[in-house]
Amino acid sequence: MTDAAAPRPAMRRTIPPQVVGLSSLVAFFLSMELLIQTGVINRFIVPPPSDIIGSFGRVIVEENVFGRFLLTLSECLIAGVLLTVVGVGGGVLMHRFKLLQQACETWVAAMASAPIVLMYPLFLVIFGRSMWTMIMMGFVAALPPVILKTLEGLSSTRKVLVNVGRSFNLTPSQQFWKILFPAALPTIFVGIRLGLIFALINIVGVEFLINFGGLGQLINELAERYDLPGTYAAICFVILVSILFFMTLEKIERWLRPFD
Amino acid sequence: MLTPTKPTSQDATDDAILVVDNIVVRFETPEGPIVAVDDVSLKVKPGEFLSVIGPSGCGKSTLFNVVGGLLGHYNGKVSVAGETIAGPHQSIGMVFQEESTFPWRTVTDNVAFPLELTGMAKAQRIERARHFIALVGLDGFENRYPGELSGGMRQRVSLARTLASEPKILLMDEPFAALDEQTRLLLGDKVLQIQQQLKQTTLLITHNITEAVQMSDRIVVMTYRPGKVKRIVEIDLPRPRTSEIVGSEAFGRYVAQIWADLREEASRGMRDEEKHTLSHPKGGAS
Amino acid sequence: MAETLRLKPAAVSAPAVSQVTVLRVVIILTLLASWELLARSGWLYRDVVPSLFAISRAIFDLLSHGEYYFHLAVTAGEIGTALLIGGLAGLAVGILLGANRYLAKAFEPYLYYLGPTPKIIFFPIMIMWFGVGPGSKIALGTLSCFFPVALSAAAGMRGIDKVLIRVGKSFRASTWQMVTKVYLPAMRHPIINGVRLGLGVALIGTLLAETKLSNKGIGFLIINAYSTFDMPRMYAMLIVLFVLSIGANALVGRLGGLDGIKRV
Repeated sequence: MTDAAAPRPAMRRTIPPQVVGLSSLVAFFLSMELLIQTGVINRFIVPPPSDIIGSFGRVIVEENVFGRFLLTLSECLIAGVLLTVVGVGGGVLMHRFKLLQQACETWVAAMASAPIVLMYPLFLVIFGRSMWTMIMMGFVAALPPVILKTLEGLSSTRKVLVNVGRSFNLTPSQQFWKILFPAALPTIFVGIRLGLIFALINIVGVEFLINFGGLGQLINELAERYDLPGTYAAICFVILVSILFFMTLEKIERWLRPFD
Repeated sequence: MLTPTKPTSQDATDDAILVVDNIVVRFETPEGPIVAVDDVSLKVKPGEFLSVIGPSGCGKSTLFNVVGGLLGHYNGKVSVAGETIAGPHQSIGMVFQEESTFPWRTVTDNVAFPLELTGMAKAQRIERARHFIALVGLDGFENRYPGELSGGMRQRVSLARTLASEPKILLMDEPFAALDEQTRLLLGDKVLQIQQQLKQTTLLITHNITEAVQMSDRIVVMTYRPGKVKRIVEIDLPRPRTSEIVGSEAFGRYVAQIWADLREEASRGMRDEEKHTLSHPKGGAS
Repeated sequence: MAETLRLKPAAVSAPAVSQVTVLRVVIILTLLASWELLARSGWLYRDVVPSLFAISRAIFDLLSHGEYYFHLAVTAGEIGTALLIGGLAGLAVGILLGANRYLAKAFEPYLYYLGPTPKIIFFPIMIMWFGVGPGSKIALGTLSCFFPVALSAAAGMRGIDKVLIRVGKSFRASTWQMVTKVYLPAMRHPIINGVRLGLGVALIGTLLAETKLSNKGIGFLIINAYSTFDMPRMYAMLIVLFVLSIGANALVGRLGGLDGIKRV
């Protein structure tokens, strides 16, 4: 801690920034409401926020939102299990056999930048209109980052920790389970979290595109029925669900690694 | 030759090029206000090498930022050649403690940076840059990136960059703090040699006694919080000096004298820190 | 020390390269062989796994017809426009949030949590706002790439080594000089990374929108191949698309000098 890093003289601002953020959001919705009610914005393009809020209850009850949510969530979790097994396993394997890593890491990195989800028509042919299309799509699209993060975690283990293990004459398997793996675990968790988020995004997207399954399909259906406030409400709902999902994963991750 | 033969401590007002006058700096912290620098006054004469030494937390880095014009809120004034500064002054060139080369610029482009800001033509500024690169002994590395150099070499690039702006006063904040002892001594030699060659007025902020005695004409010893001037020590060692002087008896006496002063302050600082860590178990660690 | 470091990779990698190459060739050949075996075995439904010959012919057909390039140009135009609008908007917002801690605390959480949400579900709204033509695809691409660019730029701005800013100020750089000579070069890695991420999601957003509703573009061609059950053609298009997008991504990184600069 140097003197130069000391804080400036007392901050003058008294309004907490969170309040400003939230009230701007509220102000935005209120002005939208006003603009739509006064006819400046066509209400058949953007329904007034009050209508959207009003149709929330209707959509939730009539469209079996809870069941859809469970369906999408379970697809996502199955994809997550596959991701953890195959992704982390693949990363460990590539780390264990350096030659494999040298040969394939670039390929995996390249695949991470390819639009894998565009393969969904192909998956539709292979798996048909079943939840496995969604699961496999979510799994495959999210696989590269999980492998890469696992590899990153394992290879960035500090050299001195590895040497500590050596100095205690650990066997290779002890070396892996007692040193490498625990040291890499935080990064691996990050990888799994990213993977689950990617899986959710892709699963909801594919549900929407092929009009089948859970939450994604709901939006498509309401849009095709020209139920405007319903569509907006459903979109808001899906966004909220994804944010909650994201936040929960962050919480779990923090809970799983109390150190650092 | 710039050997200060006579003790000319506080009365040499007229020929001082840098005058630091009654500087007081306060910070607001969550635990209440802290006086970091308390009524510090200094005068640096042209060509003089003055060091400010003190324990961690004596506000010497704050003083560095005040003189460099990077800190806005303080009482008192700093003037260069009679002109009160408000913000970074062109006559003052700063060398920072931290790694401060631009990683995206080659050595030449790093050193030419201040010249580029003034709008000097490319060919001319490259030529000037090369001159200063040679001065710090980095010829042959002109087209390397900082990432390819060692820590000591990078710090020399920073020094050359500041020298390239041809400041009247060179202001350095523990420029060798991050280096190992041997590199530090050799680099000290280099700085000393350049300083004597250019007759460069220099104000060095440091916590390293050896470094301070090795290079300075005068050393200002500061107290632990609030940072005040505790004593000013004249270093009457022959010039030109090199690091060999470290072995001499006179050198040892100066080191012992300054350590006697500093020791008291440093242990006060240590006790304070322990107390702080006990009462704030989390914040103290940083 | 430096000498030994420099010597090491050369000494080790010379034989390793050939080993890696051998392994790569073996992996590729194994994959291709098992694919072909699967294709000929008839275990799967007709044409789900077409023979390599059929796929290569489809790729050749695809690339030798001008029609493909027309659709490619349409899609590339949409993605480019989306990246331009979304990228610039993201950059501006990111720099603003990066420069001002108060604004960042007020608004960045919204960006942070909206970033990783599915964007394709906004497509029905985009159609209502911008019509069924390229407009809605561009809008979806723009929406997709805004978030990663903004978040990277904000983080990059905050991540600038503070001492570099102090160096600039100590040499009395003007605001413009600070921006062009200190801030932007210091944050170019996060910005380029943001643009790469943005390109990736803009590509996905635009193409998925095309598969949902359009009459031109690569996404349209893919979904068209699906509905006519022309599997070799679909494989051909996916392969070409993957190669193009991986190439575009690498190009952005290369242009941004991500490999050219050695960082400490």
